[in-house]
Amino acid sequence: MLTGKKITKRFGGLTALSEVDFEVRRGEIVGLIGPNGSGKTTLFNVISGIHRPEGGDLFFAGRRITDFPPYKRAQLGIGRTFQIVRPLAGLNLVENVATGVLYGRKQGAGAREAREKALEILAFTGLTEKARRFPDELVLEDRKRLEIARALALNPEVLLLDEVFAGLNPTEIGSAIELTFRIRDAYGTTIFMIEHVMKAIMSTCSRIMVLNFGIKITEGTPEEVANHPEVISAYLGAAYAAC
Amino acid sequence: MKKAPLIAAAIVVVMLAAFPFLSPEVYYLSFMFSVFMYVILASSWNLIGGYAGYLSFGHAAFFGIGAFATAKMAALFELPPVLTILAAIPAGAIAALVAIVIGYPCLKIRGPYFAVVTLCFAFVVDLAVKNIEWLGGAEGIWMRIMDVQEKLSRSIMYEVMLILMVATLAVAWWVGRSRLGAGLRAVRADEEVAETMAIPTANIKIQAFVLSAFFPGVAGGLFAYYLTYIHPDVVFSINISILIVLMAMFGGGGTWLGPIIGAVILTMVNEGLSTFARAEIARIIYGTLFIVVTIFMPDGILHFFLKRNRGR
Ligand SMILES: Nc1ncnc2c1ncn2[C@@H]1O[C@H](COP(=O)(O)OP(=O)(O)O)[C@@H](O)[C@H]1O
Ligand SMILES: [Mg+2]
Repeated sequence: MLTGKKITKRFGGLTALSEVDFEVRRGEIVGLIGPNGSGKTTLFNVISGIHRPEGGDLFFAGRRITDFPPYKRAQLGIGRTFQIVRPLAGLNLVENVATGVLYGRKQGAGAREAREKALEILAFTGLTEKARRFPDELVLEDRKRLEIARALALNPEVLLLDEVFAGLNPTEIGSAIELTFRIRDAYGTTIFMIEHVMKAIMSTCSRIMVLNFGIKITEGTPEEVANHPEVISAYLGAAYAAC
Repeated sequence: MKKAPLIAAAIVVVMLAAFPFLSPEVYYLSFMFSVFMYVILASSWNLIGGYAGYLSFGHAAFFGIGAFATAKMAALFELPPVLTILAAIPAGAIAALVAIVIGYPCLKIRGPYFAVVTLCFAFVVDLAVKNIEWLGGAEGIWMRIMDVQEKLSRSIMYEVMLILMVATLAVAWWVGRSRLGAGLRAVRADEEVAETMAIPTANIKIQAFVLSAFFPGVAGGLFAYYLTYIHPDVVFSINISILIVLMAMFGGGGTWLGPIIGAVILTMVNEGLSTFARAEIARIIYGTLFIVVTIFMPDGILHFFLKRNRGR
């Protein structure tokens, strides 16, 4: 459903992504891992259209979207969250989410329906009590939930989650994992997620891709990836040794 | 409960419309004319400056374009004064057209650069008009006056400006609650995020900019007619551009009521200053006010007094 072919992205002299191929199929939960600075967020920025790649092509639902502006990709059904949360400041939670509903894939909603739909999504993400609050009054966990709620407002076909578990404590991670599964099951959304928290990625993803220095070094089931020698040396080695 | 504000607004409008029939002194008619005009200018500016956060410092350009376009049309077609009033509408359309042309490149520039570019745009328009003979050049343009009593002509202009104000405020009200308004607020908060929320930011910014230019253009046309003589120094004055920004921000940008409050209060202050102080002193007071508002009340007095009630 979402495919990238030989995606290359450079920042000046730095090659953040080097001929990366990837594919996400409908209904999957795919993981993307790699050490810090390996190009994961950059790949999401290329997919959502914030960055233009120097090389390669992107396809979504059979269409070439390489030249589409970000809003068009979002209209087609690519939703995303930001690693460093970026709520719409000055708007309360309902307004944050309702704005997404108004412009999202099921257009034609009036202001009232948009608000109702927003409240529904806030309930789904566990933010009902804070619906009238402003983002700067929320704790990190809730801000991450708001990122997800706002992305869900578009009614996306595929959701790009950028480290929504980072900085959360074990209990919070547990409920975030549960939320990820619920999104896929309730909305039928395909999920492509970047994650550092191993427990989270191993227990949610059916397939994992690994980036290192902008190069895709392998891809496979969680077990395959965890036992891949290059992955262990590049990334998991230290973490595993510590466990 | 939802009807209450509408009824209140209707009562205020009816009272305002009835005012000239009480045969007030001409001075009060002129003063109210200014209030209406500045409410129109500040509320229009608010669509792009308040909701979208693109601070235009060149809005007098649209006002001036409307004034000159009206005056020129009146002269070209030798319109009788009553028809000249209607010429203000195509003049507003011309201002809107100019907004499309300059908005397309300028709205790609964010933050302080946008403010500077719009400021320069207003200077360029001013200079161009001064140097084009056909437009009246540096001498300005005279218009035919209505051959009725001053009081009657002022009353007519009062009512016409009131109508334009009601129209502007109705549109501003609609924008504030529409999908467009929601999109503009998202643009103000974080434009990149807005794009990823499927909001066509470039498109809606142009829409807001065009609306924000149209009404000042029409107001400029009415103002030309009211003055009967227009000069670039008057209608393209940077003071007007700054006053518009100040009024909207002083009242509270991004809200419907804010620019109205700001325009009413500052027009009164302006009136007081021009009666009791010299122009230079008035400017110093305005400059100081601008600094105080920016530092202590960045969200305007409306928010300053209704803390926490952000958004609407
Ligand atoms: N906008 C940018 N401008 C310049 N360099 C960038 C930009 N975004 C990311 N980079 C660089 O690209 C590399 C990959 O970054 P990123 O994709 O954020 O890594 P990850 O998300 O895997 O931690 C890093 O070296 C980072 O410094
Ligand atoms: Mg990252």
